[in-house]
Amino acid sequence: MSGKALARLLGFGTAAAMALTQSSVGFVRDEGYYFAAAQSYEAWLRLLWQAPLQALAQTERYWSYNFEHPGLIKLLFALSHLCFSSSVGDTLAWRLPAFAFAGLISYWLCLLGQSRSRAAGVLAPLLFWCAERTFFHGHLACFDIPICAMTAGVAVAWLRGGGPWLAFLYGLALSTKHNAWFLPPVLLVHALLLAREQRIAKLRLLPWLLLSPLVLLATWPLLWHDPLRHLGDWIAFHTHHVHYAWYYFGEVLRGPPFPLFYPLVLDALVLPLPIAALLSAAGVKLLVDFARRRLDAQRLLELGLAGAAVLPFMLRTTPIFGGIKHWLAFLALLSPEAADLVVRIAPSPSLGALAALLPGLWQIAHVHPYGTSAYGELAGGIPGAASLGMQRQYWSNNVTAVLPWLNAHCPPGARVYFHEVNVESYRAYQLAGMLRGDLRYAPSPTNSDYAALQWHREFRDREPETWNAYGTRRPAFGLYLDETPQVIVYARPGFPGAP
Amino acid sequence: MFVDAAPLLAEEDLAQADYVGVQRLWLLSLARAPYARNPQGALRARGATAASQEQRFGALALQPWDLHAPQLAADLTRADEEHEVDYVARRCLRLAIGSRIASRGAAGRILHFRAGIIGERAYDKGRPPIVVQIFSGGAPLGVLAVDGPGWRKLDVELPSGPEERDFLFAVSSPDAARPFCLQGWTTR
Repeated sequence: MSGKALARLLGFGTAAAMALTQSSVGFVRDEGYYFAAAQSYEAWLRLLWQAPLQALAQTERYWSYNFEHPGLIKLLFALSHLCFSSSVGDTLAWRLPAFAFAGLISYWLCLLGQSRSRAAGVLAPLLFWCAERTFFHGHLACFDIPICAMTAGVAVAWLRGGGPWLAFLYGLALSTKHNAWFLPPVLLVHALLLAREQRIAKLRLLPWLLLSPLVLLATWPLLWHDPLRHLGDWIAFHTHHVHYAWYYFGEVLRGPPFPLFYPLVLDALVLPLPIAALLSAAGVKLLVDFARRRLDAQRLLELGLAGAAVLPFMLRTTPIFGGIKHWLAFLALLSPEAADLVVRIAPSPSLGALAALLPGLWQIAHVHPYGTSAYGELAGGIPGAASLGMQRQYWSNNVTAVLPWLNAHCPPGARVYFHEVNVESYRAYQLAGMLRGDLRYAPSPTNSDYAALQWHREFRDREPETWNAYGTRRPAFGLYLDETPQVIVYARPGFPGAP
Repeated sequence: MFVDAAPLLAEEDLAQADYVGVQRLWLLSLARAPYARNPQGALRARGATAASQEQRFGALALQPWDLHAPQLAADLTRADEEHEVDYVARRCLRLAIGSRIASRGAAGRILHFRAGIIGERAYDKGRPPIVVQIFSGGAPLGVLAVDGPGWRKLDVELPSGPEERDFLFAVSSPDAARPFCLQGWTTR
């Protein structure tokens, strides 16, 4: 099997694994918004088919929703839904493109790994995916896995591709998420640090990136009218992003300055210990070899892109919410080097791979689909992280664990307070058949018959509010991971299921 | 499992918690959880003594502690609701800023007063303080300014006088939109 065929196999295998394990993964808050955006964009696509001129004139109306992210990924969600919803259902159809990007991560990491050895090519994507946090993100119709994939794709294109391919792939990255803004400076510095001949070749490649915004423009119809204003809105949203509260070592962080090593510490705590150790060793090895000027062009680029993925979150002012999802490319770009370390150090590559991957596989088997709650051995697992005062969960997807109970117990038309689950995700659960269609979305515990409270330090007020409203402190049901409360369901006394 | 044999208190700071009216504290903990902190030092530091050996029920540990706290004379605010202040559910009385509450009860020796802003509004920056003036029998007894998050404390020795007294708590602030709650009691 050729190297590319092996990479393709791993890519398809990854996408298939995501598709097969996605049904239990809850709809995170952001997916709710992106599903709504995809619905709006799909309506525009239908209009484009029926009345193209009208569609071209009405881009603002259909594309203004979720203006803070470029159009490409949501357009893919919309196209996928248009093509496949009748055969696989609405929510899976929206998620299918995300699985493709998960597959692309494996494909490109395998190619990067194979420049060291074939074994490293196989192991690199496995090291990235064999952790519940990354595996969980691979299922979501969001942008974090796609931008991670596109970062790896740009790396491969920069190292091996021609100008047009690089321009196209960087254009796709730019059209995926604003993390892509950091890539051109890394490529420039990378080119400048290369030996003379390579430097000249790469500096000649760089101007091709000037064409990349055309891809952004083509895939984001919002920019077709008044582009400067919309570009300004996009940039301003992220340069003035709000700071969501985040629980970290017993302290609720509500604003800057954030801890300098926050992203590195969090990686160490949430990842399975062998993977955290290997990625750390890979990072140190790359840095040491950089200091000794022993890095070839690929390893230098991997170091640069990994650094560019994580360093913005060490500025102490960048918003830090969202676990490790914002710097997934940091982990991905260190994976080929980590895989190489395993191959070199372990007595046999298979044994080394087994030792490196088994704890992560166990973590996935044990915690999936509650990916935002996963913590590794260094944190003492989920209960240890709770003792340490770490963010218990985020994004509300853990609510899936209590939906069957609510479906079974709520009387017709019951009002349910879903806490962090937004209206969009609530509708998605109903659309997917995971939540009864007659259950109503209550805006507060006071106006509800049932409450599904997600344990968040910053939302502790909701629980006493529920006690006061219901006149009881006794939960009816809940999701507890390793005895750690995640979602607690209260039922108003007298209602079915109330204790 | 849910404990309903005794009132459940979720106070996190074992050393500083008030435990109003509690003489015996049954401490339930997951002692074997990774990074679990041993609670005994904090309880001993406040003068509490273990009433018997710790008992284990699987992962759960249960141990009774005598707090040796001063006896409750009167619960002046008599709250039957709980509100979150500083991430802990407090049994306190929600009171609109700009209003006051009068109460009559046994004076005892010390008046204990606690107050705080409920929920997320406590973390708003640059807001004016909320001031609580406390009167007993018409005479000012103390002032507590709540100028940010936290469960603020004021303990005042009561001047000699009648055993039963009137107390008044008046709450004011230029920013009256914040949810606020208070708790007051006396001990002998």
